[in-house]
Amino acid sequence: MTALLRYQTANLFRSHRWILPLIAYALLITVGGAGSGGQALGDGLDWSAAILVPVMALLTRSMLTAEPAAARACVSAASGPARAQLATLLAAFAAGAVLGLAGACYELVTSGHKTALLVPFIAGLGKALVCALVGSSVGTLFNPPLIRHPAAALLSTIAAVVVAWVSSISPANAALHGSGAAIQSAAWPAGVPLAAAFVLLAASWGISCWLAGRRAE
Amino acid sequence: MLRCRRSGRGVSELRLEAVGKRYGLRQPWIVRDVSAEIAAGRLIRLEGPNGSGKSTLLRLLAGVTMPSAGKVTGRPHAGYVPERFPGGLAFSAREYLRHLGRIHGLSGFEVTRAADDWLERLGATDYARAPLKTLSKGMCQKVAIAQALLARPGLLVLDEAWTGLDQAARGALDAAVDERLGEGATVLFVDHDPARLADRVDERWQLGGGAAVTMTTGPAGNGPAGGAGSVAGGARTAAGRAEPVALEQGAEGAGSQAAGPGSAPIAAIIEVTGLEAGSLARLGALSGVLGASADAAAADDPFLKLGPVQVTVAVEASDSVLRELLSWDGVHVATVRVSPVRASPGPGQDGHSTGSGRR
Repeated sequence: MTALLRYQTANLFRSHRWILPLIAYALLITVGGAGSGGQALGDGLDWSAAILVPVMALLTRSMLTAEPAAARACVSAASGPARAQLATLLAAFAAGAVLGLAGACYELVTSGHKTALLVPFIAGLGKALVCALVGSSVGTLFNPPLIRHPAAALLSTIAAVVVAWVSSISPANAALHGSGAAIQSAAWPAGVPLAAAFVLLAASWGISCWLAGRRAE
Repeated sequence: MLRCRRSGRGVSELRLEAVGKRYGLRQPWIVRDVSAEIAAGRLIRLEGPNGSGKSTLLRLLAGVTMPSAGKVTGRPHAGYVPERFPGGLAFSAREYLRHLGRIHGLSGFEVTRAADDWLERLGATDYARAPLKTLSKGMCQKVAIAQALLARPGLLVLDEAWTGLDQAARGALDAAVDERLGEGATVLFVDHDPARLADRVDERWQLGGGAAVTMTTGPAGNGPAGGAGSVAGGARTAAGRAEPVALEQGAEGAGSQAAGPGSAPIAAIIEVTGLEAGSLARLGALSGVLGASADAAAADDPFLKLGPVQVTVAVEASDSVLRELLSWDGVHVATVRVSPVRASPGPGQDGHSTGSGRR
């Protein structure tokens, strides 16, 4: 698995498919913080976590379409198609997690507050994790091998990101609103969004890895 | 010795059990109901027209794609060379091979040596540092071949791997296949050149319409005309509605083929199981049946199931006899092979039976 991860990570960096998600994330973070000059750390972290959903979905999509079918076939013969797929998803998630962490650190540094940072920072990281998990699930569920038509995959990914943001059934939405000022959703007790996001991720990755061997041409 | 680290299954043989593949529930079957036991150390050639499912069957064997029905078991560590390897990755040839070598289970030191070694053997050393994207089709093909061979796999699957290679590299690949076979690995391949490794081939699998596979053993007999060809066709037709049939061709058959395909006095020998003693007369009455060997002692009880019975059939009639036999209840065709006609075909005339094609 280590070898597969090295290969997929190297492929991500060499193929420059990380550039677009990085620029998008950096732009959105700076734009989000620009207007509110010295906004509360919690708000900044919420924002950086929220935009991690599309960024993670985009990264996942990039990775799922990065490897030519023939190259994937060679890897699959050596390691099995499911493991090859898992390594791809893990590499994308790791890259997104690094982005998320960097984003949270940026918010920490640029926030106006100088005291009592640890608790909101850790809470913010928790939300970022939920958003990263949901973003990865979205990218996995609405891209190959589940949805193979390029246009359909792209459009449904975008739609799913919006749903993940606004729908009350989304763990990401619940996490972002859960600890916000006063809105404490009764349906989502503490910790549940994270657990739900993990379940969603496990399910989507499971389906993707299972299908990778069956739909491989 | 073999370095089948990932498999660790020792001597277990590669088995296909009623394997089928289709890409979607409403899609047609590309490969269907293929059963085979592949002993280690065999060289198997897959033949068939375009679209007959050769590549798909190779992918199933290599573990690149999972079957939609049935299962593949006992697969050793596999190396796979795809039909086209377009590069498209942002690695240099050497970097790519290092990554693939590690994925194949080699250590860092082994992988560097193996990668350089294979690039040199295939005549690609000068391009080791070039990005895959800039390589020609032939050079990409060499890289694909090198990655498959790096870890000396127990199963090598070559999908038209020779296409696009220069003469020297073709020779190197032939030698590499020899080497793999020598170390006890199984090699399966598809190639357009009927002469490719012709003297080494142990088995031929003919894929035709109807997603059935006909399996032949023996090195010769690559012409569509002649006895073997016509039997293969018959078996294929029959297998389409029953079960895959193993077509065997003994060494004698190969000899008579070489002497003059079509004109040599050869007959098809069909080995059937599950035949009832009382059906022997019915069998003898079929047109084209020249004789049948059976355990004479068994003839007392007409309903007794006989052991394997070898039916000698005129080649021209093999098609219709096979079809008839397959329509009989409880009767299974185990093998079909082509052999020169002898006065009394008996058990002593056995070819080497692999039992492939049986469920």
